[in-house]
Amino acid sequence: MDAGLLAQYVTNGLMLGMMYALVAVGFTLFFGVLDVIKFSHGDVLTVGAFAALATFVGLRSIGVASNPVFLLAMLVVALSAMAVLGMLIARYLVLPLKSAPALNTLLITLMLGTMLREGVRLFYPQGANPKPFPALLPASSVSIGYFNLRLDNVLMFAAGVLVIVGLQFLLNRTKLGLAIRAVAQDEETARTMGVNFTAVVLVTFAIGSALAAYAGVMNGLYYNEINFGMGLYLGIIGFAAAIIGGLGSIYGAILGGFLFAALQTIGTVALPFASAYKDVFAFAVVILFMAWRPTGLIREKISERV
Amino acid sequence: MTEPLLQASGLVRRFGGVVAIDRLDLAVMPNEIVGLIGPNGSGKTTFFNVVTGIYGANEGSIAFDGADITRSSSRAVYNAGISRTFQRSRLSLPLSIFDNIMIGNHKRLRQGLWFNLMRRAAFKSEFEANYRAACELVEVFEPALVKRMFEPVAGLPMIDRRRIEICRALVSRPKLLLLDEPSAGMTHEETKALMDDILLVRGRNPGLSIVIVEHEMGVIERITDRCVVLNFGRKIAEGPYRQIAGDRQVQEAYLGAE
Amino acid sequence: MTPPVLPARGSLLPGAAAIALAAVYLVALLAAENQPVIIGLLAGGIAVVLAAYWLRWLDPVSRSFSEHEDALGAISVAAACAVAAYFHDNHFVLLLVVTVILYSVATLGLNIQFGYAGVLNFAGASFFGIGAYTSAVLNAHTALPHLLVLLIGGLLAALIGSLLLLPVLRTRGHYAALVTIAFALLLKTFLEVNDVLGGPQGLQVKGMSLFGWPFNDNVTIGDFELSFYMSYFVLSMILLVASFILVRRLERSWIGLNLDALRLDETAARCFGLDVERWKITAFTLGNFLIGIAGALFGMVSGFVAPNNYTFADSLILVSILLLGGIGNPWGLIVATVIVVVVPEKLQTIQEYRFFLYSALVIAVLLFRPEGLLPRQVRRYFPGWRG
Repeated sequence: MDAGLLAQYVTNGLMLGMMYALVAVGFTLFFGVLDVIKFSHGDVLTVGAFAALATFVGLRSIGVASNPVFLLAMLVVALSAMAVLGMLIARYLVLPLKSAPALNTLLITLMLGTMLREGVRLFYPQGANPKPFPALLPASSVSIGYFNLRLDNVLMFAAGVLVIVGLQFLLNRTKLGLAIRAVAQDEETARTMGVNFTAVVLVTFAIGSALAAYAGVMNGLYYNEINFGMGLYLGIIGFAAAIIGGLGSIYGAILGGFLFAALQTIGTVALPFASAYKDVFAFAVVILFMAWRPTGLIREKISERV
Repeated sequence: MTEPLLQASGLVRRFGGVVAIDRLDLAVMPNEIVGLIGPNGSGKTTFFNVVTGIYGANEGSIAFDGADITRSSSRAVYNAGISRTFQRSRLSLPLSIFDNIMIGNHKRLRQGLWFNLMRRAAFKSEFEANYRAACELVEVFEPALVKRMFEPVAGLPMIDRRRIEICRALVSRPKLLLLDEPSAGMTHEETKALMDDILLVRGRNPGLSIVIVEHEMGVIERITDRCVVLNFGRKIAEGPYRQIAGDRQVQEAYLGAE
Repeated sequence: MTPPVLPARGSLLPGAAAIALAAVYLVALLAAENQPVIIGLLAGGIAVVLAAYWLRWLDPVSRSFSEHEDALGAISVAAACAVAAYFHDNHFVLLLVVTVILYSVATLGLNIQFGYAGVLNFAGASFFGIGAYTSAVLNAHTALPHLLVLLIGGLLAALIGSLLLLPVLRTRGHYAALVTIAFALLLKTFLEVNDVLGGPQGLQVKGMSLFGWPFNDNVTIGDFELSFYMSYFVLSMILLVASFILVRRLERSWIGLNLDALRLDETAARCFGLDVERWKITAFTLGNFLIGIAGALFGMVSGFVAPNNYTFADSLILVSILLLGGIGNPWGLIVATVIVVVVPEKLQTIQEYRFFLYSALVIAVLLFRPEGLLPRQVRRYFPGWRG
């Protein structure tokens, strides 16, 4: 195959990897801090994307026409709305079940995810159909050798990198980040050290959900379309990626996201007849990987006191 | 010279950078009660966990009843004849007293699908026989519980739960019993009663050896034949209680660690 | 030897009365056509149950079931037959009844996996669908006797389930969750993308025919014209009774104890010799087998099979039934199945919203009454045994 096509695949893979990584990081954050698998994470992404879309539709109907304004407003609304949603979920569904078996939290977030997903399908106008998402980034492209490097992709990828770097900075260089890492490592000790556990949990959920919203908007901009089931799909992949990288490890989640995207891209390249099977392939990879290395490439941080 | 029932040789267990068990040699003879003492974090529970196959040994070996059990799984160790209790009482709380004890009796219960599902009359006989056996055992420790065999364990006070845990460990007639702080949370009287009951059971089961982790020195003094003292995973003293109680190193380990 | 103190001897009467009342209520609900009447009946039913709960009238019923489960089981079967007989020529209602019965069998299978062994299976509907597709393919292309087809449906579901075993066996519950969800999504996508098994349209399923007796023809006995669903009803009831007895005996045996032990504390279970892997595999496989058989029969009953009926959301419905009814309690499970299947059918307005509403309901249950409607009781190996 020619270099242009190869570069195209690589670009696709990188964009995909970025989106998976963003979702995976959310999963790993929640697990690290509360030992909780928040199955509604993917569906929060969906709601975020639809919130952004609703903002766009609303602004456009009052006459706004500037793309940067749209984009900024959509991001602000989606991220803050999902941050609030994340905090509500933590406060009313996850924290109350802290002392119940972990299974109950898994189930409750699974059901919540369904509610969010069905909520979008039922209550957003024509929610059952895929909705076109506006293309708000500059559509120009640069020719490098044999292929077109699209500016909007570059911008999105760069923004994604910024977000991840920002997150790493937050976690490693700020007091808040320190508190989060302390709670993730050992809740009891962190508490005795004066860390406000509930606040840390709420903030972590807010951050994770905002990340999901960001991933949702990015997804919409990339595919120019969103649908109510997008979060379920991304959630499963993101969760698998987080596990591949080792639950609780941010680097692992990022690594897992890109690795998964790479696998998917290789699969699409290797089996060109099977583009319809792309999703089937993705899920099969999840299952196979779980059979082979369920504790991930980086060990999951579990410590069971015996 | 009798062969030791349990022999740990050069045992090492690390967790990351921490050496939890440091070249430990420990032997338990048949029909002996050995006290395992030491400050918190000295490796006593870790030793139990390694013997029962929950953790693997990094170095060294463990032999039991003539066989090498160093690499054995928890199942294999149980089948060989070692039973234990846990520091944090690990009973299945929603299950009944009888159920919990029967969990300990696994190797003596018929496990076939056909037997359990289809041969109900035969199953009933086995059930009734085991019910009687469980009652006899519980009767030793707390006769009042015998009437409550089908109540969930969750409703019992801590001391009764510990007793049931010991029954669970004893029901399979093990050769070696590992007791991890059995008297934690008990009053003096309750502890004395518990130790009496343990000695009674041991009297009925000649050949049963016991390793008991305890912090109450009165217990150790009273029921053990010999003590092993650990500190930082290493054996620092060994011998009858009176002998090691006067040992300077032992005193420093306890006082220093507190 | 002091005999155990067991709950006071319960009389048969409260249990029998409860069953009779439930049967009458069900007949009324199923017969009602008018939306306001249905809403009234539902509200009334809830009110009566709540009142009985607060008045502590449900306790004697519970004791009744503890002591006389076998007799009450027989009475329940009779009651079910009475309900079916009342609607003997009503296709719609009988189909609904058969659906409830087959969903119950599937959920009983799920109960073995989830309720007893603690193995999460979020692809229950997928295995149900595998059974249905088996019927479709085998009935269309082979002359295999249909009872055998049912069996094969179960075996195939168990076999395909065993492909997922390796990840399912891993210690942490969320691995099994992830893998079964991935499988559910994978299967649906695969069936839709593929035309071999009919694609998104699905396949027709030829109706059951037993020893030359075609199930899909109406039955005429004397003056009575019986809906053809009657034959399916009889067969489904047999399947339900067999499954129920199987699950009951499983729970009341050393195997049931093993499953509980490994669900509650895997490490301790291993320390007492339990082969955790073996029993997880047994539970998962047996569960899928039951689900597959139920699915195979359901395929023949409904006459067609399509990927859209066996999605992840449908698997969540099965899990919801389990959580609602009371994890581990087969009676609770049947009550919950009736509620979950019948109510959206009668309250047509909420059909569309059923996934949404049931998720909300389960969230409420998990927050406020995680043990479900009919909590699981302590194991009594032989009901009525006094020692």
